[in-house]
Parts: sequence; C-alpha cells; structure tokens
Amino acid sequence: MDILLDVLRTAIAPSTAAFALAAIGLNFHFGLTGLLNMGHAGFMLLGMYGFAISIQQGWPIWLAVLVGLAAAAIFGLLLGWPTLKLRGDYLAIVTIAAAEMIRFLGRSQSLSGLTGASSGIRGSDFKPPFEELSPFPDSIVQIGPLEMHGSRSSSWWLTLVTWSLVIIFAIIYWRLAGSPWGRVLKGIREDEDAVRSLGKNVYSYKMQALVIGGAIGALGGITWALGNSVQPDSMGRPTTFWIWTLLLLGGAATVFGPVLGSILFWSALTLVKSVASAVLPPEVLAPTDLEPFSLVLVGVTLMLLVVFRPQGVLGNKKELAFNG
Amino acid sequence: MAEATTPDPEVATTATGGGTNLLLQNLFNGVVFGLLLALASVGLSLIYGTTALSNFAHGEMVTFGAVLTWFLATPQPVTVPLVPVEFHIGLPLIPAALLAIAISAALGWVQDKVVWSQLRRRRVGLVQQMIVSIGLSLALVNFIQWWIGGRPVRLTTSIDPRVQYGPISVGNVTLISMAIAITALLGVAFFLQRTRLGRATRAVSDNPALASASGIKVDSIIRIVWVMAAGLAALGGILLALYQQGFSFDDGTRLLLMMFAAVTLGGLGHPYGALVGSLVIGIVAEVSTVWLPPDLKFATALGILIIVLLVRPQGILGKAERVG
Repeated sequence: MDILLDVLRTAIAPSTAAFALAAIGLNFHFGLTGLLNMGHAGFMLLGMYGFAISIQQGWPIWLAVLVGLAAAAIFGLLLGWPTLKLRGDYLAIVTIAAAEMIRFLGRSQSLSGLTGASSGIRGSDFKPPFEELSPFPDSIVQIGPLEMHGSRSSSWWLTLVTWSLVIIFAIIYWRLAGSPWGRVLKGIREDEDAVRSLGKNVYSYKMQALVIGGAIGALGGITWALGNSVQPDSMGRPTTFWIWTLLLLGGAATVFGPVLGSILFWSALTLVKSVASAVLPPEVLAPTDLEPFSLVLVGVTLMLLVVFRPQGVLGNKKELAFNG
Repeated sequence: MAEATTPDPEVATTATGGGTNLLLQNLFNGVVFGLLLALASVGLSLIYGTTALSNFAHGEMVTFGAVLTWFLATPQPVTVPLVPVEFHIGLPLIPAALLAIAISAALGWVQDKVVWSQLRRRRVGLVQQMIVSIGLSLALVNFIQWWIGGRPVRLTTSIDPRVQYGPISVGNVTLISMAIAITALLGVAFFLQRTRLGRATRAVSDNPALASASGIKVDSIIRIVWVMAAGLAALGGILLALYQQGFSFDDGTRLLLMMFAAVTLGGLGHPYGALVGSLVIGIVAEVSTVWLPPDLKFATALGILIIVLLVRPQGILGKAERVG
C-alpha cells in the first residue's frame, strides 16, 4: 500500500507538473516543428536563474517570472540565429553545447555572487514571495490519503499552481497547433522545402517555435525550482533526456502526450525504485545503486520507444514521421 | 562547508604545469589534450562519415576503455553489477590496457551487429538513430556509475614526476602518451590513404550508394569502422585517464561535447577534420585559462564551436556545400 501511495504522491507532485510544462515546451520544438532541441534543461535553468536572481534583487514576483521567461527567449534567439538555417543535427549539437555552457557558467566560481556557484541558490532565498501568496494554511494539510504542507516548498499551493499552468498551456498548445500558424509549423516538420516554396519564411517560423517553446521550458524550470531549489547540476544533460523520454512516451505532437508522459514516467520510476528496493536484497543492489539502475532503465526505455513505438502512447504514427 | 573541501568534479583534474612561461606551458598542455581528444574523436568522425549518425554514445566508449583497464589492473577486489562475486585480477598496466582495447573493439563489433546494423536494415531514420544513441548513452553512463561508483578511478598509483624541458615541464608518462597518440593517428591516416580497406572506407564516406554499386561491401566496411572507432576511443580513454590521473564514470560523457565540437569544427565526417578540430579545441581550452577562470575552459571551447558554426558551418576542412 505504501508503494502505491508513493506512486500517487509522485503522480500529482509539483515536480511532475513542472516536467509536464517543460515537455509542452519541447513539444512546440519537436512535436510541432521537428526541431531537435537537446538543450531543454538549459532553458529551464535560465528560467530559474532569471526568476531567483530577480527575487533576490527585491523585484516583484511577476517581474521575476518575466525576467526568467525573457532570459530563455533571448537564449532561444541566440541559439536559433546560427543553427536554424542548418541541418537538424547541428541544432542538436549546438543546443546541447549551449545548455552545458549555461550550466558551466552557473556553477563557475567567477559568478558565485549571483548564482551561488555549484551549491546554487537556496530555496529560502527566493521562495517566500511566492509562498506568501498561498491561500492554504501554513501547516501540514491532509487531503484524502495524502498529506503535504499547505504553502511551503512542494506544497498544495504549488501543486495547484503548477497543474493549473499545465492545463492552461495544454489548451494554448491545442489552440495554436490547430491554428494556421501551427499548420505551417507542422508543414515545416513534414517537408521544409514544400513550405518554403509556398512563400513562407521557414526560418522565422522555426525561430518563433524555438522561442515560445523555450519560454514554456523556462516556466517549467521556475515551477520546478519553487518545489526544490536552484541547482545547476540538477539541470544537466540527463534532465533534457528525461524530458525527451517522457515526451516520446506520452506521444509527441499530441495535446496530452507531455502531461501523460510526465505522470507515467515519474510514477514508473518511483514504482521501479520502490519495488527494486523491496524485492532485491542489498547485496545484489545497494540502496545507492538504485538511482543509476533506474536511469539505465530510462535509457533502455528511450531506445526501445524510439525504435518500436515512436508515436508513444497517444500519438498517431502517421503524424510523427521522424525526418532526416 | 562540505562543498569547499571536496574537489569540484566539473573542473577536469588536468595536470596544469609548473612551467616558467605560462602561455607556452598552456599551449603545450593544449597540444597534449588535443592529441588525446583527437584519438577519442577520430572514431566519432569516421562513424559520422560512413553512416551519417551523430553517435551520442561515443563518450561512453572512451570511459569504458579507461574503466575496463582499471578493472583489469587494480590490485583491489572488483565486482560487476548484479553479480555477487568478487574478482581479483590485478594484471600489470600494459597487458590490462591492451586487453581492454581488444575487448572494447570487440564490443564495437557487437554494438554494430546488435544495434546499429539492425536499425539500418529496418531503415530507421537518422534522427531516430540519434535518439537511440542518446538512450544508449544514458543507459551506459549510469551502468558505469553503478559499476564503479561516483569516485574517479586511477589506473596507476605511481606519480609521474615532471621534467623541465626549456620553458615547459612535462611528465614522462605524458610524453609516452603523446607518442602513442601520434603513432595511432598516423596509423589511421596510413590505413585510410594506403590500404584497400581504407580506400573503400573513404569511398563509403563519400557516397555509400556508389561505393556499393562498385562492389564494396558497405556493411562490412561500416562494421570495421565501428571496431576501429571503439578501439581508438578506448585507447584515448586510457591515455586520458593516465594524463588526468583518474577517470570518473561521466568523464567520457562530458568529453563527448568537446569531441562533437572538435569534429564539427574540423568538418563533420571529414577523416582528418577530427585531428585539426581537436587540436584547435584543446589549445583554445587550455590557453583560455591564461586569461579566464579555469572552470570556464569547457564553456570557452563550446563558445568557439557556436561561433564557427556562424561563420563557417562546414568546418575548417569541410567542403562548402549546402547543409540544410
């Protein structure tokens, strides 16, 4: 029973919602436009730095969120400028390199006054303005079988906000994907040259998708940081690959794919870890080995998914033709 | 604070020298690092050239060479994940290294046989193959962490004393490593230029369909390229582990970006591009530490990659052609 409760707790956790948001952003890149953004964690990290540092400067919370989103949008512009005219795998290499640069800069001692170097920014330094807005009581609240804190850190308040954001952005994705603008993006995904020959500015459309998706990724980063803390190493390459796995798991180019993918991915990971630690004796699998063990499974899942079911749980195989 | 005492794992523990001229010493260190990087990345370039696959799991092949050598050479008892038996191997360093290279090369053969040739036969798209390699990388790096733990492994316990040559100080092991690297690279060049197989490899690189039509067995050439790539990557890993005096489970993964930067810089798929690009990246990374903080040297090298893509996307040696 405890295991099931753990799984349920993971399924509705704010971090799960934050990853769903980030995956919606990636869905704009990959699902809608076919861009291979392998540096999504960099957008998230920029979002959280922008937010946390602005709060530390004493700026209001709405401005801090805007700074985070703007940082990611500018990052998207800078990345897209040299690469969007080139073949897809150049974008993959450059985004992954740029995201690592952000992380190296963040953990560099030379900027420690702003970013706190490798130890990052503590939650208590940037969470209070958000937590003060909470309508929930400032204590542990029990709802159904679950209990969480009302307003601090990974709280009911954050759960409410993050899942509302997920719903809002899922609707935005749904509306935009069906709009004339979204249909051009899908056209670029399927056949760039055909769209170009219709007189559309492919470069500008790709850039718009990159910037919008990146900004949503930054929002995912901000909400993730509100439940945890700003830590450059938590936003390394593995994070990007998790988002890819969960997006492909749920189904790229679908409205609910990122959301379902995030819930399934994190629940399954919790389930695997709890079952493995309950079943396997510690001589075979030490508790410290659980994390790498489960990540080996994530990697293998990603490989199998891409080969055998590239459309994921919800997707339409015809719609998602990987080109290249 | 615990953070301050533990050495920062992101700052490569390169042996920064005590030479009398900082600039010349760093230039020399850059050449050493560039040569070792070239060894690791020449396989990546060959694989890209013959199959057009950006193999994101190449870094793990580098790590694997170093870790396997440690596994065979260390006098301590060692274990393998999920096998509750301790081994005592403790071979001398050189036989251990040779055996590790042979096993890695064999695993390169197996990898192509089991994964990549199957994917090519099923006509899985290149983008999908790239994501498969990302999944493989995630699985392998975590498997290695599970295997050897989070601490760096050292191949020898002896310390390489530094000798002063004019303005440069360097250890003897480093000099021998350089000689091995240069010999191996010359061997690759000889193979590509002067042997029938090498010429066939270049033909496949140039145009697989035409090569196949003129009677070259494209699949066996690609198999040979995988074996070579895996063996060279393992050799590169071993020499890097000696040079840095230790190798962590994710050092190869981190190096992958440097390798991509080098290969892209030199010209994706160009056989000698990897060498030129690696030397440039190595020298830029090391010389930048004269003016910039050392924890930013990887970021500097990645920045160079992005700038090069802006002005010369085909790389230094690449043919100017439309990419995308």
